[in-house]
Amino acid sequence: MAESAIRDYANSKGFHRQTLDRWLGWQPSDQDALQEIAVGLKVSENHLRDLMDWLEEIALRDDSNISAILKRPAIDSIKTDPRLGRADKLKRIKEQLRRWRFPRLAAIEESIRVKVQALKLPAEIHLSVPPGLEGGRVHVSFSAGSQGEFAKLIYRLSDAASSGITAEIFESLSGGAPEKEPNQN
Amino acid sequence: MRNLQFDEVVVERGSESSPIYRNLRQTLAHLPFTIVDHIGPDQGTNSPVDRFGAAKRTLYLARHKGEFLKKCPGSEGQVCCNYFVINFASNCPMDCSYCYLQEYLADNSALKVFSNVDDLIAETDRTLARHRGVFFRIGTGEITDSLALEPYTGMVRELIPYFAEQANVLLELKTKSDCVETLLDLDSKGRVVVGWSMNPQRVIDLDEHDTASLSERLNAARLCQDAGYRLGFHFDPMIEYPGWESDYESMIEQTFATIDWHKLAWLSLGVLRQTPGLKRIMRERYPRSGLLTAEQVLCPDGKLRYFQPLRIEMYRKMARWIRRVAPTVKIYLCMESRQVWEQVFGFAPSCEKDLGNQMAPEIQQTIHA
Repeated sequence: MAESAIRDYANSKGFHRQTLDRWLGWQPSDQDALQEIAVGLKVSENHLRDLMDWLEEIALRDDSNISAILKRPAIDSIKTDPRLGRADKLKRIKEQLRRWRFPRLAAIEESIRVKVQALKLPAEIHLSVPPGLEGGRVHVSFSAGSQGEFAKLIYRLSDAASSGITAEIFESLSGGAPEKEPNQN
Repeated sequence: MRNLQFDEVVVERGSESSPIYRNLRQTLAHLPFTIVDHIGPDQGTNSPVDRFGAAKRTLYLARHKGEFLKKCPGSEGQVCCNYFVINFASNCPMDCSYCYLQEYLADNSALKVFSNVDDLIAETDRTLARHRGVFFRIGTGEITDSLALEPYTGMVRELIPYFAEQANVLLELKTKSDCVETLLDLDSKGRVVVGWSMNPQRVIDLDEHDTASLSERLNAARLCQDAGYRLGFHFDPMIEYPGWESDYESMIEQTFATIDWHKLAWLSLGVLRQTPGLKRIMRERYPRSGLLTAEQVLCPDGKLRYFQPLRIEMYRKMARWIRRVAPTVKIYLCMESRQVWEQVFGFAPSCEKDLGNQMAPEIQQTIHA
């Protein structure tokens, strides 16, 4: 596609000059591959910058090129899935690119998600970990409509707290078991 | 380490009486010297391409008009080591791809050395004298390398005799150079720590441009130790890449095979970190650097770091390798949260004073006796 089409899109969305220059600094095939997604899904500048960051960094790390990344079957199947609207397609493409960009982080997040599911907590209890796992703390929230329900949820939480699965969640957050450091205490 | 290449020296009028000027005239006699009335903040930054890199080609000598001695700003929300800094120069002649000065000094990137050493000493003396019961760890490597310019300026040689006589201070000279020759005949009386920022040779080759090699740094450390200086090592920024473990473990073994760890003042660990703004600059200046592909997340202090479980694992491995060869050496983490301290060491300092006080306890005992 022509450079002018990218300029038109960037102008219509009010992109900063740096964003446009960066895009136009890519190889023509890479420019086109991103343009297809950007125009098709009406991607805003903030989302576009995330995509550009991740695509450039994946390409650098894997010694690949951006158009090849965007032609991978996982992306193609999202782009062509008739069940998904624009916003969902963009969300899923970003999730997929993030998984490729941060494979080990994504793998830990996924394993924690699976472990949280395995705890089989009632819907009233929400257990989550911080974005990017930074801080290493598990956040727990719950709501109860009666004293009886409250007591029941506390019981379930207490059960979960002593579970081996919960221990594994905390271990995942802390990079494994700590080593002893006897000399500085 | 190769000699630094400058195109010229620009001197602000009034600095000609400084010992630093005299040293520069001797050591850089082959360069043109220009005397100007005023050196502004944007001096040295008018190159059309890579302004920051181009600014390293001209050496400026000027009076410093502000305060020399400041508290290290640390990083918001992170455990602080109660460090003070003296800035006797601004910007660095070396060019690490991750260097935070690329962003911090983006609008003031002239490579400047300050000529008023007498003011620096007088200001420091007022502070140290006013607080004789307080122990000061002072570094000179916050916005410059402490020793890279020493063969030309002789700045540190001017400072050491003063600091050697102070009871309540340790002066740290932090460097990636091997420029220690002018220090070796001075008696620091145990008041000066020469600290090296350390990385495996692979990282030096890829991302620490114009710095001394690992072997050169270690040889220089050994010379300093033999000359009576205390040593510090900063394994910072640690870089994670496939095979990093064997490179870092070998580096630690090489380090502790070269120096006597009993004479180490301190040792710090830190991981690669940068603001998103610095990352944008790195992308422009070093678009092929593998550092751009690190698995980093944005932390509450606004800096990108390796995601927490990964860096905890890195710190634990480093601490284990260090402990194996130097069981009781003091290790601290630079710009890390209490949670990470606790996960790595099983404890966190109760406050910044607590951590600062753990450094050089024998000097603490002297001043509190």
